[in-house]
Amino acid sequence: MQNQFKSADGLVEVNISKQGDSWLYEGQSCQILNDGRLQVTTTDGSVHLARAAKVGDVWWVHLNGHTFKLERIEPGANASEEQGGLTAPMPGKVLEVMVSVGQEVSAGTTLMILEAMKMEHKIVASTDGTVTAINFNAGDQVEQGVTLLDLEE
Amino acid sequence: MANKLTKVLVANRGEIACRILRACSEAGIASVAIYASNDAKSLFVELADEAVQLSGDTIAQTYLDQQQILRIAAATGSDAIHPGFGFLSERADFAQAVGDAGIQWVGPSPDAITKMGDKMTARITMRNAGVPVIPGEEIEEVEEQAALIAIEDASHRVGYPLLLKASSGGGGKGMRAVHDPSELISSAQGARREAIAAFGDGRVYIERLLTGSKHVEIQILADRHGRTIHLGERECSVQRRHQKVFEEAPCATMTAQIRDAMGSAAVAAAQAVDYEGAGTVEFLLAPNGEFFFLEMNTRIQVEHPVTELVTGVDLVREQLRIAAGEPMSCGDLMIRGHSIEVRLYAEDAANNFLPAIGKLAVFSPPEGPGVRLDTGVREGDEVTPNYDPMLAKLIVWAPSRPEALQRMRRALDEFVVLGTTTNIRFLRELCDQSEVINGTTDTTTIDRLWPNGWSPNVSQSIQSAALLVASCAEVNGLQRRTSSNSNQVTSDGPVSPFTTLNRRFP
Repeated sequence: MQNQFKSADGLVEVNISKQGDSWLYEGQSCQILNDGRLQVTTTDGSVHLARAAKVGDVWWVHLNGHTFKLERIEPGANASEEQGGLTAPMPGKVLEVMVSVGQEVSAGTTLMILEAMKMEHKIVASTDGTVTAINFNAGDQVEQGVTLLDLEE
Repeated sequence: MANKLTKVLVANRGEIACRILRACSEAGIASVAIYASNDAKSLFVELADEAVQLSGDTIAQTYLDQQQILRIAAATGSDAIHPGFGFLSERADFAQAVGDAGIQWVGPSPDAITKMGDKMTARITMRNAGVPVIPGEEIEEVEEQAALIAIEDASHRVGYPLLLKASSGGGGKGMRAVHDPSELISSAQGARREAIAAFGDGRVYIERLLTGSKHVEIQILADRHGRTIHLGERECSVQRRHQKVFEEAPCATMTAQIRDAMGSAAVAAAQAVDYEGAGTVEFLLAPNGEFFFLEMNTRIQVEHPVTELVTGVDLVREQLRIAAGEPMSCGDLMIRGHSIEVRLYAEDAANNFLPAIGKLAVFSPPEGPGVRLDTGVREGDEVTPNYDPMLAKLIVWAPSRPEALQRMRRALDEFVVLGTTTNIRFLRELCDQSEVINGTTDTTTIDRLWPNGWSPNVSQSIQSAALLVASCAEVNGLQRRTSSNSNQVTSDGPVSPFTTLNRRFP
């Protein structure tokens, strides 16, 4: 059976097959235990107990001391487009806008300062470019993921 | 002298409120929690005998509203207020108002808070007590332009690299390290802005940054019966943006001689201000054994559990005892074994430690010998951007330092948090660093180990195993179980095979 996930490293196709009680993928096998945990045997023969929980479309997996966040892409759905703008990493408040529309900035320039969880976060230009839009003013509350400014290379 | 406490109002929230409320319960003292509306379902609210909702939306209108808190204390018949840490814990005006209302303040006198809370006065007090201090100056100017000019001026006398910190600060807020004069003004503006937002006071303190030093602090206890003692040191060198993340007692490189000297200096400092209750005197310990006074925190400290585990003293219980006018119950200092604490934050360590939010779909802490968890959250809670992102403190004790590190590694590997990104893996890999293993950490350790940011060290086979687990869970419909019955999955008792089977193939 085929599943598609988006992780920190990009999109991955996962084809698993069933053999008895086990599910197989790339030489590793997985069984579901009665308490909902999953027992994995990796290629080197080591056995790990994993926990998994789904929040929204994201599968959170704890395995061998690591926690993975794997967003499942529903079959047929388009993978979300990469945004050209600079987005808010956290819900918070705009403290200061350091640039104006039309201004040319170089990579590393601080464009905006955001406050979240009582700490300041700098929104920094990732590339050289021209500021084409500023969507919020100082004092505005912003939601996570909203586009704060647009930068054209 | 004795004024028995019958009901304590805890003027705080989250993890430390839970810690204090549990101590009250153990001491047979009734307790009152106060909470903002967005904390109505928080753990600390249910641990209190009574809970009163604060009106207002912002922190200033709730946990910092002195008049409202005093009204609640009066209405509930509370005879003491425990401020915890942060919020109003180091506000002398509040301690004064509490005393004026005939309520016992669990902490030192307003005068001691003023003297130690103001960094300039604290330095003078310490210098007079014969304790060395770091070169630095208070910037008294309040108005922005005047303050910036004064900071620029002082920077020449203090020297680079230097540190700007909020005069009435703590917790890394309003703090900036400046390595080059060209960064001074923008750093000063940032520090002032954070200081005003967090403490309502933009004044900053400027001091030389001593690199390669350890952050070592001495725990103090003083009662009204003439006894002031120290409970040894904690080392908290491993910091990120001046926020402590890994703390231990004792300090790995401490000698009996330095401990005695530092302990005596700390006791002298406490006696100089007629200190009462629990307090902490922070020092920078240079590689050559010289130490310098940093500041005194006139309250219980986040990392107090490591001292509790190696000394056998219940610090919060002693605070309550001392506030009631009783003599402290602990005897002479005895340090036994080794204790380590790590702070679990809801943050994305691999993404410049940005705070994270989300639902704690699974929150399953480690168990077993020598493991203690102090937290204010439980499974199912939402992590919001409203407050500090610290989720929990994981503390271990073991007979020796190497064993304590081994135990911490085991405990972190067992700790499962799903639904919110945490720094658990970062803390786990920190435990494998040679500086941590050898005890040679200093305040720049994290920046030096990961100058370009941290990313997890994970093998290809574990990554693909995680994909297999997620696919397997998806295909078998495990999400239906976790979303509708999250409590069932992690309940302490054995899960009934019948209900599990029913749910497995719905």
